[in-house]
Amino acid sequence: MNPNDESPRGTFSPPRDRRNQRLVVIWSFVWALSFVAVTLGIKKGGWSSGANLAAVIGTAVLGLATVLVYRRFLLETDELRRKIEVEALAVAFGVGVFGGLSYWLLVVSGAASVTGFAYVFSAMILIHSVGVLLGIRRYS
Amino acid sequence: MKNRLKVLRAERDWTQADLAQRLEVSRQTVNAIEIGKYDPSLPLAFRISRLFKMPIEEIFDPETDL
Repeated sequence: MNPNDESPRGTFSPPRDRRNQRLVVIWSFVWALSFVAVTLGIKKGGWSSGANLAAVIGTAVLGLATVLVYRRFLLETDELRRKIEVEALAVAFGVGVFGGLSYWLLVVSGAASVTGFAYVFSAMILIHSVGVLLGIRRYS
Repeated sequence: MKNRLKVLRAERDWTQADLAQRLEVSRQTVNAIEIGKYDPSLPLAFRISRLFKMPIEEIFDPETDL
């Protein structure tokens, strides 16, 4: 490699960050699978109320584990990546709070249904992902 | 904030990846510091100072921007 390499592309994160990032992806994927499976299971209506409750609690526990894995990633990651993640989280949080409350007003006014809140959460996830990509580009 | 990181690195024939590995940060962080888009934290500035065996103020100049 050229000793004066200034190529801005590629983050080449330390192994610790790559490992933690892989864990975040795996746990997020497991949680998403559980969420979809429980949603479909409850909608089909074949489960008892006890099974429904256990499935919801199980998914919530997986979600909590995902949050803890992500928190560990944030605490241990490279400091520039942490700054990028926090900036993206701030925007996503703002969209979640103000977008969510604005949507709630639409629900109260009868212009939208409660089920549409899923779009608000999806928007938060999408905005966070786009924010991270833009941040990586901005600091490159 | 202006800095001499690129010069110091080049004097040692290190790549950005080499320096990143020694500092335990990503290559993107080294690149962002070198081009003045990111100012390192105090702990990282001290690690850089120790690595190059130079006082922080000889590596970083807070008075000027790139």
